[in-house]
Amino acid sequence: MSKLHISPTPHIHQAGSSTRRIMLDVIIALLPAAVAGVVIFGIGALWTILTCVAAAVASEFLFDLCTHKKETVSDLSAVVTGLLLALNLSTNVPLWQCALGSVFAMVIVKGCFGGLGKNLVNPAIAARVFLLLAFTTTVAGGAAPLTDLTATATPLTTINQGAEAAKSISVSNLFLGNYGGAIGETCTIALLLGFGYLVARRVIQWYVPVSFVGTVFVCAFLFGGFDAGFALREILAGGLLLGAIFMATDYVTTPNTGVGRVAFCVGAGILTWLIRQYGGYPEGVSIAILTMNLLTPFLSDIFKRKTLGGVK
Amino acid sequence: MKKEISSLHVPHNKHTAGCEPVRIALPREVVLPMNMHSGHDAVPVVAVGDHVKVGQMIAREEGRFSSPVHASVSGTVTEIGTMDTAKGGKTATIRIESDGKMEVDASVQPPVLTDCDSFLQAIRDSGMVGLGGAAFPTWAKLNEARNPDYHVDTVLINAAECEPYITSDHRMMLSHPDWIADGIEYLRKYMSDYLSGAVYKICIEKNKPDAIEVLKKTFADKPYVQIQELNAIYPQGAKQVMLYNATGRVAVAGRRFPSFGALIINVSSLALTAHYLKTGMPLVERIVTVDGPAVAKPMNLIAPIGTSIRELLNVTGLKSEPGKVVVGGPMNGEAICSVDDPVVKVSNAVLAFDEKSAVLPEASACINCGRCIEKCPVGISVASVERMMKIADEEYRVKMLIDTGVRQCVDCACCSYVCPAHRPLLQINQQAKSYLKRYAAEQKEKVGGNTK
Repeated sequence: MSKLHISPTPHIHQAGSSTRRIMLDVIIALLPAAVAGVVIFGIGALWTILTCVAAAVASEFLFDLCTHKKETVSDLSAVVTGLLLALNLSTNVPLWQCALGSVFAMVIVKGCFGGLGKNLVNPAIAARVFLLLAFTTTVAGGAAPLTDLTATATPLTTINQGAEAAKSISVSNLFLGNYGGAIGETCTIALLLGFGYLVARRVIQWYVPVSFVGTVFVCAFLFGGFDAGFALREILAGGLLLGAIFMATDYVTTPNTGVGRVAFCVGAGILTWLIRQYGGYPEGVSIAILTMNLLTPFLSDIFKRKTLGGVK
Repeated sequence: MKKEISSLHVPHNKHTAGCEPVRIALPREVVLPMNMHSGHDAVPVVAVGDHVKVGQMIAREEGRFSSPVHASVSGTVTEIGTMDTAKGGKTATIRIESDGKMEVDASVQPPVLTDCDSFLQAIRDSGMVGLGGAAFPTWAKLNEARNPDYHVDTVLINAAECEPYITSDHRMMLSHPDWIADGIEYLRKYMSDYLSGAVYKICIEKNKPDAIEVLKKTFADKPYVQIQELNAIYPQGAKQVMLYNATGRVAVAGRRFPSFGALIINVSSLALTAHYLKTGMPLVERIVTVDGPAVAKPMNLIAPIGTSIRELLNVTGLKSEPGKVVVGGPMNGEAICSVDDPVVKVSNAVLAFDEKSAVLPEASACINCGRCIEKCPVGISVASVERMMKIADEEYRVKMLIDTGVRQCVDCACCSYVCPAHRPLLQINQQAKSYLKRYAAEQKEKVGGNTK
């Protein structure tokens, strides 16, 4: 008999549980939204997606190489970041700006802070906010869909004007996503498909996005004249679902307990509502999540699990 | 309703649940290590060339929580040697070449029991230890209940067998429910001053319906025995988890178990103790489940203590060359260095893994997914422990480590099992735990030094 391996316990591991598998699941869950984006906004959306993903993967690879780190591209986290960033941008953004966003995400937000698991804020969101501040004219607002090239304002701008104005926006179109906006944020059905998949695969807990979206709904309902139709449009339009399902559930930059995650989402929901109503930008999801990302270590600590039988 | 404890659904793989234990052919020789219990090593009292008989004491207990060792075959002592232990040290061994006769020693006589002292002394002489894996001497555990500060009203008989693969306790319950009943009667008789009015709860997982039925029949007319059916989840058999699930009591950090009003004893330990008290035959053989991905025909085998694991694998056959052999369960068992290592008192299973399943993926960066925290049965902030260990200021480090709850770790390995980054979380917890223990001891010494 040949030599035996020895190792500490346990000697078995949960089947299919790996970082790579989780990242792959997120990519799969993002695909419906990506496909819907290409259908709605045309082939330009595909170039945006490919540019962001390629730039993210390349910059992570080069960063690992330059800093003499072990290759981390194969964990697929760079693909997730690139894809998420692309879905948060519209086809109005020039490709070189898309690529710059990916480099910013991978090198400055993630790599410089120590790589996967060490970044303080979500790289895709930070990159989006960076692009928004640097290139406001191209990044703010959204591209018009192929079917209606004259559309200029995104529905969220209209909805934010109040319950009366919001009535002009069709709820069914908000589900289909055939309106102006970022590539991945408009088609609610595609996003919900991704949500279902992630919950079924147990990558995320259902109550995390629901508490985020629910908070915005409640705020809109309470402060928008108790109008359920208005509150519904408020949560379907803009980047809320994309942010709640895919960014507020990012493990690294959100608290690591269930209660902490809900607290995170309630905070992000309130901030989203405040920025949408009173801010200079029509959309507040990115900045809300970014702000809450910074509070994550504190939330993890405040809402940590109580140890059974632990004594102070 | 009380809050449910976190736990895992680990694949049970109880392939051998229906396998009647089979006695293996008498091995040519046995090797008996001196460290088959939790305390100090036993000391051999025989010399090379001595002839020994089955049940004869060949090593005496030495030091705290030590335990004697008995010959498991009759024959000649051929070597007093040493072997490497899984923990990295060395231990003495006694090698006996079997004469094939299995002659029973004259000392094997039912012990004379008169009171609690003689009862516990008899168990002490029998070398019985906790067969659930802790290997804590049984007499010492029972003796703790005599502390006047404790009021034990519940005796938990641990029949959970929550680890995958293992069915040796299960088979013990099916073949010898009467031994378990005898064991309870012995406790009631000789420990009556300390366990008066106590309830005996046989805690068994629901995935053993046949054993539950047998136990229910056996104890139908005994109101002081309850069959407590528990969900088949891991780590149901960890004492803190079992205490909570069976009684609702919480095992508070840093206190001895009987202070929670309960004793916990493994079902096979209790049954074999009773068998010894009746016959005088100490623990010289046991049921071993032999299973695992590399085993051709999973079986339950009865083997003398000291039998080489190679002999067991020869009986079951191998599908492929094993890359790793584990003694005990896959969650908490020890990987052994060589298949020539012997079966010891606590060897409830031998699992052979093929080369493919022997090596787990390399650890990568923590992604803060929180699964280790979510699945921890006692709710330790597992993900933080490693970070806290790196805090430079010692006082702050200790405070933050205690805050994570790591002192409550039950070593179940659920955290490492679920970690998608394959981090050795259990080992980090263990490091932190022993660090805190060391620190507390140092502080105590310092305070003691100051007052002098």
